[in-house]
Amino acid sequence: MSYIGKPLKRVEDARLVSGEGTYMDDLSPLPNIHHAAILRSPHAHAKIIQIHTEEAEKLPGVIGVVTGEQVAALTRPFPVGVRVPVKYYPIAVEKVRFVGEAVAVVIAKNRYIAEDALSLIKVEYKALDPVVHIEDALSEESTVLHEEVGSNIVNHRFFNYGNVEDAFKNADRVIRKKFHFPKVSATPVENYGVIANYTKSEDAYTIWANFHGPFTLHSVMTAALKVPSNRLRIITPKDIGGSYGIKSGVFPYMVLMGVVSRILGVPVKWTEDRQEHLSASSSGTDRVSWIEAAVKKDGTILGLKMKYADNVGGYIRAPEPASLYRTHSNATGAYRIKNLEVEAIAVVTNKSPTGLIRGYGGPQHYFPLERMMQIISEDLGLDVIEVIKKNLLTKEEFPYQTATGGIYDSGDYHKALNLALESIDYEGFKQKQKEAWKNGKYLGLGFACIVEPSGSNMGYITLALTPEERAKSLPKSGCSEGATVSIDPQGGITVRISTVPTGQGHETVTAQIVADALGVDPASIRVIAEMDTVTSPWSVASGSYSSRFAPIGSSAVYQAAQKVKNKLLEIAASQLNVPAEELVISDGKVSVKNDPEKGVSLKRAVGLAHWNPEGLPNGIEPGIHETAFYTLPVAKSPNEKDIVNGSVTYGFVFDAVQVEVDIETGEVKIIDYTTIHDAGKLLNPNIVEGQIMGGLAHGLGAAMYEELAYDERGQFLTGSFMDYLCPTATEIPKVTIKHIESPSPITPLGAKGLGEGNTMSAPVVLANAVTDALKPLHVSIDQLPLSPDRIWSKIHNKNTVKM
Amino acid sequence: MNGEGAIQLNGKVETVFTSLLDPEVLKNCIMGCNQLNKQGDNVYVADLSVGVAAVKGKYDATIRLTDLTPPNSYKLIVNGEGAPGFVEAEAEIQLVQVDDQHTELRYTYEAAVGGKVAAIGQRMLGGVAKLIIKDFFKKIKKELEKVNIAD
Repeated sequence: MSYIGKPLKRVEDARLVSGEGTYMDDLSPLPNIHHAAILRSPHAHAKIIQIHTEEAEKLPGVIGVVTGEQVAALTRPFPVGVRVPVKYYPIAVEKVRFVGEAVAVVIAKNRYIAEDALSLIKVEYKALDPVVHIEDALSEESTVLHEEVGSNIVNHRFFNYGNVEDAFKNADRVIRKKFHFPKVSATPVENYGVIANYTKSEDAYTIWANFHGPFTLHSVMTAALKVPSNRLRIITPKDIGGSYGIKSGVFPYMVLMGVVSRILGVPVKWTEDRQEHLSASSSGTDRVSWIEAAVKKDGTILGLKMKYADNVGGYIRAPEPASLYRTHSNATGAYRIKNLEVEAIAVVTNKSPTGLIRGYGGPQHYFPLERMMQIISEDLGLDVIEVIKKNLLTKEEFPYQTATGGIYDSGDYHKALNLALESIDYEGFKQKQKEAWKNGKYLGLGFACIVEPSGSNMGYITLALTPEERAKSLPKSGCSEGATVSIDPQGGITVRISTVPTGQGHETVTAQIVADALGVDPASIRVIAEMDTVTSPWSVASGSYSSRFAPIGSSAVYQAAQKVKNKLLEIAASQLNVPAEELVISDGKVSVKNDPEKGVSLKRAVGLAHWNPEGLPNGIEPGIHETAFYTLPVAKSPNEKDIVNGSVTYGFVFDAVQVEVDIETGEVKIIDYTTIHDAGKLLNPNIVEGQIMGGLAHGLGAAMYEELAYDERGQFLTGSFMDYLCPTATEIPKVTIKHIESPSPITPLGAKGLGEGNTMSAPVVLANAVTDALKPLHVSIDQLPLSPDRIWSKIHNKNTVKM
Repeated sequence: MNGEGAIQLNGKVETVFTSLLDPEVLKNCIMGCNQLNKQGDNVYVADLSVGVAAVKGKYDATIRLTDLTPPNSYKLIVNGEGAPGFVEAEAEIQLVQVDDQHTELRYTYEAAVGGKVAAIGQRMLGGVAKLIIKDFFKKIKKELEKVNIAD
C-alpha cells in the first residue's frame, strides 16, 4: 500500500483546531523573562540628534532602555550580498531611514509597563528630505540615504543572452511598455515573536523565534553578533502561524533582542503587534519595469529587453537583492525566447525594508511579461491564445534550457492550456463578450502562463555580483536539506526534519513518505518539525521557502528512510539467511519476496540493533538512527557568462479568469477563476488544494486590494487592516483547479514545489482580464492594485489616484 | 492635507485681532488644550490631547504667530510631537472688516502628520481637522461675546 499521492488528512490539524498548537507566544522556556516594547521612528528620513531615556528608565518596573549606539558598540552591521557599504543594524544608528524603524527598546517587568515607558522617551530629530519613488531614487539628484554609498542605487547588473541586436533588427514590430508593481506584504496571522537569552559564561546566545529560514541568515546573524556559529542557538516552536516568506524578516529582531538581553542581563521576550508588522517587518519589493519586445507579424517573439528596478526600502538586507534574480532562470517564462537582455537595479528609498515573500520576484516579473502577451496580440491583431501557442514550449522540447540557464525538467504546457480552454469554453465566451459589450456590460477574459520555479539553488543569489566579483570567493551552489529517521528500541519511528514548516503540512507528508519506505502506518510515525540549530540535521539552505519541501525536503526524508530501510533489510537478511535484495518490507515486517511466509517482524529487527548488537551482521552499527542530506546536481553555481539554473524543478500554471467590470463604479467582479497546475507527482492532493487556494488568495490580494502605501513625504499610510485591505473568504471567487502530472525526472518522488504559482499569476491574469473587458474603452492596465478608484480613473481618464 | 474657509465674527476687526492673539483665549478655544504658556514673543508652548480615530495621545506643541500685520493678518504655525507621532500645521489668517459690528475671518491651512497618526488615522484626518477648526471658531465666537459685552 502506498501512502504517497493519497489525500491523507493533515496530522497537524487536530492540535491546531483544539487549542494545542504551540506558537512563539505560548513559549516560556526560561524563568525571569522580561518584556520588550520598541520605540519607532515617526519620520521617513531624519537625523537623530539626541535620545532622552532618563524619564523612561525611572518608571517603576523598567529594567532599562537600549538605543542604537549601545547596540552598534556590540555588533557589526549585517553582511549583505552586494558590494556597497550599507550599514544595516537592527536599530537606527544616527539616522532613521523609514517610518517605523526601531529607535529604542524598553525592557520591563511586563509589556504594559514597557509600552507606557515608550511615551516617556523623547527623541530629537532633524528631518531630512525623503526619497519615496523608485524613479526618484534612480536620479542622481535624489537625497542620498546612505552617505557611505553615495547613491541610492545599491545593485546594478546587465545581462545579455543570445543575439538581442539581431532579434530587434529582424523584428516586424518593436513594442515598448512600462509597468508598476506595488509594495505588498503577506500578513501571516501570527506576527513576529522572539525570546532571547545571552549567557555570559559561554558568550552565547539562545534565541527562540518563529524564524523559518533560510538558514543562510544564521551566518548573517552570527556575523552581526560577532560570535562563533555554535554560539548562536536558534530554536523554533512546534507551530508557526504562517509566514509566506515574511517571517524571515524577523532576523534583525533576533539579533536586537539578543544584544538587549546581553546589555541588560535578563532574558527578553518581544511579540510584534500588527501595526509594527505592517509598518516595519518586511514585504515584497515594489518594482518599475520597462519592457521591449521584438516580434514578427505572426506573433513569434524574437527577443526581449527588460529593465527593472526593485525598491528594497531603507536598507538593503539579506537575501535582497535576490528578488531581482529569483526568476532570472525563467525570465522568458513558458516561451521559446532565446535572445534576452536584462538590466536589473535595486534602489533604496525611505520605505520599510523588503525580503522573502511568497512568489519572491515572480509576481513582479510575470506582470510585465504576461501583460505583453496580450499587448502584442492586440498590436498584431491576433488572438492572444494564438500568440501564446506560437511561443509556448512543446512537450518534445523538455528538458529545456532557457537563454539564462534554467533547466525546465518536465512539462506539457500545451496540454495544460488546452485543458483550460476546454474548461472555460473559450469560443463560447467570445460570443458572450460581444453580446455583453452591445448591452453595455463589460466582460473580460484574461490568461496567464506561469513557469513556477521551486527549490531554489543557493547560487542564483550571487548573480547580484559580476562574474569577476564572484570569482574572488568560494562559488555558491546547491540546495541541501537534511532529515533524520530513527527507530527506538520498542520500534517507535521518529523523524526529525529541518524544513521549518509554517503551515504547509510537512509532518503529514513526511509520515507518508517514511510509511511507504518502511511499510508501516503513517499514523504510527512521529514527526518532529521543531528546529534547533544544535541538534537538528540542518544545512545552510534549510527552511521553508521557494517551495522547496516537495522537490528537496521530501527527498531528504526519502533518502534517510531508505538508509533505515536498507539497514533493516541487512539485519533481516542475516536473520533469515537470505540476500537483502530478495527481501521486501511491508505491513510491519520484512519478508522474502518469493516466500512471503518467511520473515521477521520490524520490531524484532529493530530490537536486535538496540538490545543485542552482538547478533548484528559484520559492519552494521548498533541503533537505528540515520541522517541523510540531499541536494540536486542541477543546482550549480552561475558560470562566467551568468548562466545559472536558479531552481531545481519547474512547474507550470495556466490561468483563465473571467471578470465583469462595472464602468460606473470601477468595481471588478471575478466570475470564474480556472487554474491548471502541473507540479509533477502530487504527494498529497489534500495539501495541494490548500496550498493552491492560499497562493491564489495572496495573488488576488496584490491584484485587487493590497498596497503598503506611502505619501509624498514617506509617511506610511496603511498601518491597520482597515487601511491595508486583504481579501477575506467573501472576496474569494469560485475557483476551478485542475491538474496534469508531468513527474520530475530529477527528484526521487517525481515531485515539484507548488503553492506560489497563483501568487505569481493572479496579479497579471486579473490585469489582463480587466484590460480585455475594457477593450472598447481602450483602457490598458499597467499598475496595481485594481482598486475601483484606479479603474474608474482609467476609464474616465482622470487621474484621481495618487501613487 | 489642506483647506480653507471663512467665518463671520461679531466684533470690530481690532477686537477680533486682539482676542485671537490672547493666550487665554487660545487656550480656551483650542480643542484638547490642557495648558498654554508663553515662551517668548508670540511663541507659546502647549500641551494638547487629540484623538484621531484610534490614535489618542498627548502632543507637546509649539505655537508660533508670525507675519503679524495688525489688525489684518497673521500666520499661525503649530508643531506638535508626542507618542502618536507628529503634527505640523500652518495657517494664514486674514481679517476683513464687514461693518462696525462684524469682521470676516478668512483662513487657509496646510497640515501634515507623521508616524502612527498617519499610519492609522489618515482616513479620518480630514474630518478631524475640520472638526477642530469648526470647534475653534465656535468657541472664539463665544469668547468674543464676552469681550463685546465687556466693551
